[in-house]
Amino acid sequence: MATLTPTLTLTSTDATTDQLAFSVTDSLTVKAPSQGLSTIIVDTTGANNIIVPANADKQTWVYVRHTGTTDGSTTTTQHCDIELTGDVAIGTLKANEWFWFPHCGNGGSTGVQLQSVSGSIQMEYGYWSDSTAQ
Amino acid sequence: MATTTATLSLSSDMLSSPISISASSTLMKAGVTEGLELIEMGRGTIAETDGSKTAEFGLPTALGADKAAKLFLVNKATDPTYYIDIDLHDTNIGRLYAGDWMFIPWGMNDTASELVIEAEPSGATCPYEFVLLQEPQTLEAHS
Repeated sequence: MATLTPTLTLTSTDATTDQLAFSVTDSLTVKAPSQGLSTIIVDTTGANNIIVPANADKQTWVYVRHTGTTDGSTTTTQHCDIELTGDVAIGTLKANEWFWFPHCGNGGSTGVQLQSVSGSIQMEYGYWSDSTAQ
Repeated sequence: MATTTATLSLSSDMLSSPISISASSTLMKAGVTEGLELIEMGRGTIAETDGSKTAEFGLPTALGADKAAKLFLVNKATDPTYYIDIDLHDTNIGRLYAGDWMFIPWGMNDTASELVIEAEPSGATCPYEFVLLQEPQTLEAHS
């Protein structure tokens, strides 16, 4: 078994008078199937850009980042929607933003897909299956 | 302008070449280079006997479409079998086991984007903590 360690650090010195500064970490035991760090050029049809295959009962950790480019070099400010397959929107990533999420089909046999609001966007992603859950 | 930075670090020994990922972003309002200014933080507890509930952070506000919001949620349960189901209105989108956390952009536009949580399995009780960062809301006239 392998261990995946995600850590979130959230900081701000000027959002409030009381400074925001915290860090949280987790230790996940992961197994195949997994998809290491990869890139995809996303278009405006979510079904063309499925990054996590549909599954009914796997707990899968998903990482997605908007690279801020269309192809690795040309800048874009277009947003990218994160959706369950079947076009159920979860949220939107702007340039250089990222997402960390525990996807679970939970009997519904859903995957995860990306959809550009307009034009092409190069996105970075990876996923890892949790070996202790489900 | 408020500047709030979220950084994710990922490391793993699952491959012969270790994984090491770091991603950082400044949390901005939609369409402008101004930071998110409204920060709500808190904690709560949900039990399996409560059924599915809209948590205190889960009610969409009247921000309207195309506004930015980010949500951090952690399941503070210590029993590894206890988990929190995460639903967008009626659609299950994932689950957090004990100690697990998520950080997502949340399109809190309307009832369909209501965020619902539910403790599972039978007998489970899950403390949780959250941070919601969003754009300022329009103040209501007094009653």
